[in-house]
Amino acid sequence: MRRACKPPVMGREAAPTSLAVQQDLPLVGARLAGDNRKSHQQPRLDSSLAAAAALRPQGEFPRLWFCVWLPHLPLDVGARLTRDNGQRPLPSPARRAPTAVVEEQHGIHRILLADADARAAGVMPGQTASAALALLPALELEERSLLREQQALEGLATWLEQFSSFVSIADHNVLLLEIAGSLCLFDGLQALRQKISRGLRELGFTAMPAIAPTPLAATWLARSGRRACIRDETNLVPALRKLSIACLNWPAALCEALTGMGVTTVGDCLRLPREGFTRRFGAEYLLALDRALGHLPDPRNSWRSPERFCADFEMTEEQVDREVLLNICNELLQSHEQFLLARQTGTQRLCFSFFHLKGPATELRLGCAQAERSASHWFELLGIRFEHLVLPEPVIAVRLRSGMAQALQAESGALSFHGKPGEQQRRFSITQLAERLIARIGDQSVQATSMVAEHRPHYAWRSQSLLSDWSSNTLDEPAQYLERPLWMLPEPALLPADSGCPIHQGCRLRFIDGPERLETGWWDEDGISRDYYTAAGQDGRRLWVFRNRNRTSSWYLHGYFG
Amino acid sequence: MSSSLDKLLANPRVWRGRDQARQKAGLATGYPDLDRHLPGGGWPPASLTEILTAHYGIGELRLLMPALARLSTASPQHDFTEPGWIAWVAPPFQPYPPALQQCGIDLSRMLIVRPKNASEILWSAEQALSSGTCAAVLLWPETLDDQASRRLQLAAEKGRSWAIAFRPLAARQQNSAAALRLELHPEGTSHSSGQGTRVHILKSRGGRPTVLSSLI
Repeated sequence: MRRACKPPVMGREAAPTSLAVQQDLPLVGARLAGDNRKSHQQPRLDSSLAAAAALRPQGEFPRLWFCVWLPHLPLDVGARLTRDNGQRPLPSPARRAPTAVVEEQHGIHRILLADADARAAGVMPGQTASAALALLPALELEERSLLREQQALEGLATWLEQFSSFVSIADHNVLLLEIAGSLCLFDGLQALRQKISRGLRELGFTAMPAIAPTPLAATWLARSGRRACIRDETNLVPALRKLSIACLNWPAALCEALTGMGVTTVGDCLRLPREGFTRRFGAEYLLALDRALGHLPDPRNSWRSPERFCADFEMTEEQVDREVLLNICNELLQSHEQFLLARQTGTQRLCFSFFHLKGPATELRLGCAQAERSASHWFELLGIRFEHLVLPEPVIAVRLRSGMAQALQAESGALSFHGKPGEQQRRFSITQLAERLIARIGDQSVQATSMVAEHRPHYAWRSQSLLSDWSSNTLDEPAQYLERPLWMLPEPALLPADSGCPIHQGCRLRFIDGPERLETGWWDEDGISRDYYTAAGQDGRRLWVFRNRNRTSSWYLHGYFG
Repeated sequence: MSSSLDKLLANPRVWRGRDQARQKAGLATGYPDLDRHLPGGGWPPASLTEILTAHYGIGELRLLMPALARLSTASPQHDFTEPGWIAWVAPPFQPYPPALQQCGIDLSRMLIVRPKNASEILWSAEQALSSGTCAAVLLWPETLDDQASRRLQLAAEKGRSWAIAFRPLAARQQNSAAALRLELHPEGTSHSSGQGTRVHILKSRGGRPTVLSSLI
């Protein structure tokens, strides 16, 4: 009951009001009050903190939560959409026309959020759209899209997975990540904090970060906008005491009631008696306070990003400029790389879809010989193919889907003592060469060959694509048969004959060697019974010809000795 | 020394006999007669060789087999990573693996590329040559003008790879940047004469044109 900060548990959050908890709370509070604060009749809400810290089970890992609050998410989502030229976000928001997001409430469009320019002109949240337009005629109004917000939030959660193994979507605009385990890897708290903040800024989001030992405290501190960073549990209560109850995101009626009682900060709240607080406002809010202070465990759902990457880039208008489309593809590849980086995987296949307003989407598939995640590598392959891609219509959206994620294979590099340093890197491997060739001329056009233990000439070998799991199973010992021709015709060609003697290019062939009889194949119903001869043609070529033994006695040409 | 002489010597069209001494050791062809007539004692490494024939199948592959077999199995001197690959770009027929194995080629290091058009043939060959992974690239271009042959020659130098282009006899009239150009003729056109192939060295950088009879 009294363990502070249980480790986050995947799965459903604990039911907020179980009977046992309700009955238990005053008892626990009473016992502690008896220990520590004999002067008070009623146990106070904050009474058990010192004891809780001391009661942490030995060896339990202290948790640290990084909260990202996105107060301007509806606005940020719209702003990201408008930069459809595939460029990085504009450096200053001033370049954009003043914008506000509107939401329909009871049939009236009201301002939900306004950007700095609009606010400066007096546009306030809660105004009707027409009032806002009267104030600022140049104002651009955007309809709020919950779907886009959710997609953006999920995208961000996936992006944040590179910093922590535990990311959680806490609310419609709050993300939490557990960072105690990542501090060492990312060079300390400050460096990690800066890295996340910078990344969020580059992605075009306005984010309020906060760090605290419990997830709820981190959320509340983030909402206060103070960018607090509390590592130590002993500093938690003083920091929370100063918070206004408006940061708790409690229902408006409750906040009003509390304010009416003169309770305006979390500190005021904590001074209230536990029993009375529960009776008046419900156990739910008491539990929330206990969780924030670390008296109660606060398990969270872990965000699991999808196994395969799929991302869209929508544009506000149709695009024909191939350079711009390539930029968009590059941006998608960058986020794809981030996605794979978080999961430490790579993929062998990618598929780009270019959507048009009319007609089916144009697809472009890329393949790699080995699992790969590097955006620059994929971009290079894309560049080779994109040159020859025919787009029948202007493009309105681009989608990137990746194939099955695969574990990356590490390669051992050669330790080069010879030649200049860096020379080794410039040379590609055969797989890179094959990928480049396949990207331009197609999968079926680049092949490797191997031998098959088989006496029938056309079954004695096979060709394989280099992209599949290619294994070279060369027979150890070359089979002991007569000389075979270096050139093989794809299909035996019928030769005209003159009184039993084959004719090639208008001239009778002269037999040099043979016959060699190759026979049977009853096991796969493609049996042969042929007599093969080596023959010399008039033009100096040596030919490999055969005659079927059983059927007609026509002559066929099967290869040249080259 | 006078500046006019320097200027003359700097002219790329002036060929100096001294250069021959610096010629890199060639790749032994497996035919001692041919080796004797090639500068460096073999196929010119890291450059383009052209083989002109009237038809495919008159012995042009057999001429190359001993050298290719050595390339595909031995680890090359210039690199310590792996033996080189042999790329076949747009072969006119299927190179038959059992026969190649009889000649001693390592099949696990063969790459067959079948581009769809003339420009893709040259592009693929250039990629394979300059990648540095292929010890030899055999190509059957539909056309090969002076500029394209120069590109192949440069790619071969860059990737330290041996390019072999097979072309029809009509290409003899065209200029080419190849380091070595050979013409193959079947020996004797009547049935009674013996089998054999005559090799005519048309151009050999650092060497001189010759005709060799009954080589193969």
